[in-house]
Amino acid sequence: MAVLEVHDLGIRFGGLQALEAVTFKADEYEIVGLMGPNGAGKTTAFNCITGFYEPTTGTISYRGRDITSLRPDQRAALGIGRTFQQVGLVRTMTVLENLLTAQHARIRYGAASGMFGIPNALVEERELVRRAMEVMDFMGMTRLAHTPLAGLPYGTLKMVEASAVLATDPDLLLLDEPSAGMSPEESHEFGELLLRIRKQLGVTIVMIEHHVPMVVAVCDYIYVLNFGRLLAQGLPAEIQSHPEVISAYFGEEETYGAA
Amino acid sequence: MATTDSARPTIQLPAQPVEAGNSRPQERFRPSAGGWAARYAVAIGVVTFIFVLPIIVPDESAANLVISAAIFACVALSMNMLTGYLGQLSLGHQAFFGIGAFVAATIVTSNGLPFVAGLAVGGLSGAFAAIILGGVALRIRGLYLAIVTLAYGLLAENSLFLIRGLTGGGAGLPADRPAGFATNRAYAYICLGMLALLFAFDWRLMKSKAGRAILAIRDDEKVAATFGINITGYKLLAFVLSGIYAGLAGSLYAFQIGNVVAAPFNLALALTFVLMAVVGGLGNRVGVVIGGAFFATIDTILELVHSFFIWLGGLVGIHWGHGLDPTLAPVIGAALLVLTLIGHPGGIGQQIAPLQNWVRGGKFTLHGGDKPAVVSGGGSVGRP
Repeated sequence: MAVLEVHDLGIRFGGLQALEAVTFKADEYEIVGLMGPNGAGKTTAFNCITGFYEPTTGTISYRGRDITSLRPDQRAALGIGRTFQQVGLVRTMTVLENLLTAQHARIRYGAASGMFGIPNALVEERELVRRAMEVMDFMGMTRLAHTPLAGLPYGTLKMVEASAVLATDPDLLLLDEPSAGMSPEESHEFGELLLRIRKQLGVTIVMIEHHVPMVVAVCDYIYVLNFGRLLAQGLPAEIQSHPEVISAYFGEEETYGAA
Repeated sequence: MATTDSARPTIQLPAQPVEAGNSRPQERFRPSAGGWAARYAVAIGVVTFIFVLPIIVPDESAANLVISAAIFACVALSMNMLTGYLGQLSLGHQAFFGIGAFVAATIVTSNGLPFVAGLAVGGLSGAFAAIILGGVALRIRGLYLAIVTLAYGLLAENSLFLIRGLTGGGAGLPADRPAGFATNRAYAYICLGMLALLFAFDWRLMKSKAGRAILAIRDDEKVAATFGINITGYKLLAFVLSGIYAGLAGSLYAFQIGNVVAAPFNLALALTFVLMAVVGGLGNRVGVVIGGAFFATIDTILELVHSFFIWLGGLVGIHWGHGLDPTLAPVIGAALLVLTLIGHPGGIGQQIAPLQNWVRGGKFTLHGGDKPAVVSGGGSVGRP
């Protein structure tokens, strides 16, 4: 059973058909790339999957369950984690507090127990800190635990965001341009990190990405969107040489990033 | 389509334990035993000072001031819940405060129930009033919601509180204090106790998942939702808690003045509440409590300063005429607001942050404090 199945997804904003009849899926432990020129509807598709937009047509299934009508927080609680193009973190908190907040849906004690300081809640709070530290350890961020986010450089914020998403204990990760703003070396390292995340945490990843060498190195399968429609799909090598993709995305007679 | 699905390989992962890295968190400063002793001494000293205040003040009217300070501090915590933590300006808090006061008076006087029942129902009625407003807050945000809160407060002030059958009209509703607490000195302990209770509750709340959820919603609702936070639920929770705090404060106020009339619950009061929270420092619990106490007592402080100058002038033979009399209070409030907004967005809380950080076991540095000053509403004001 596929982890994520998007079937016949369509959404219209006024006169603009942002997505039309888009169908794709991600199988267990796959890293699926979502590519396409600016305005192709990639982030819109993510917003439909995470529940911020209500699609006009189509269904979204997560492990065989239709989640099209669930609220965003319910989908997150099921195990769908997401990063944003503009870093998605709580800016007034420290790194550790962000990772604690991210574990919200995993917390077993009720909101009231926390407010009244019931011992169970206090014990679990310590457990949350331990888990947050574990994630930071994995990401090599432990040093920054008590640092406020304000003033951290963009690249670090991206890593903190990735840590926060991992702290939500996701089963499916949706990454929106994770390597934006990174140097080639950094994005190479990030690709390695993604492979390590998949291997050790056993997650399925769908990523929107423009950086071709990274996509080719990391993704198992690629879907290409153009003007809200699915233009092509295939293995990375096939997509690189796909004539329609080249003309729509890479420009005429040019192949980028022969990795 | 380039390929069929059959060409798509299946990924299989071997089961592997998570590798542990070996990086360590930055060493945090830990005070010595003597350092801790000094910190505890200061903390206990401050708390003790507050709780002996009703005894050491010179007379009953000064004890009444302590009551006012404690009640306004409770309201400041209520404002802080909505405006500081949730990031939503409330211009109608006199409604929650007044509803709490009238309901408590009704419960005790008309229904003949005990004082504690008056407090409890007063608090719950504040929550009920707030949840109605919270329902609106789910649909609109920022400036637009601020205007709705303004209308809500004015509606309560100009119609609800003037219904003779409910509030006794001009004659008001009597509210007698419980036996044994008739003096201001004794009643001040009930008010300080309530403040301590709300303060502790608020502190625990913000250290738990509900508090973090509310702060996350203030910063970015989308991010909060991807962290699995139920936006609707926690927004309403913030409104309900704010309403309970204000309702309880209003109930205490009813027994402070003994006869509840509609006149004090006006827009000027609501604006004073906003001033308390903003000058106190949005998001800083200690700061807003100080702000509340300050604005509750500013008139009297000015009067004291005024008579001191008159006395001083008498000694050296200068006649001051009008100087620092209480009519200056609004000017001082406005000046503090401007000062806060321009240079010190964290308000009083920002000024005391180094001290707070020290008491919590940090080093004393002038730019200390764990967190940056919170400027509320930055993200949401102006967005419908």
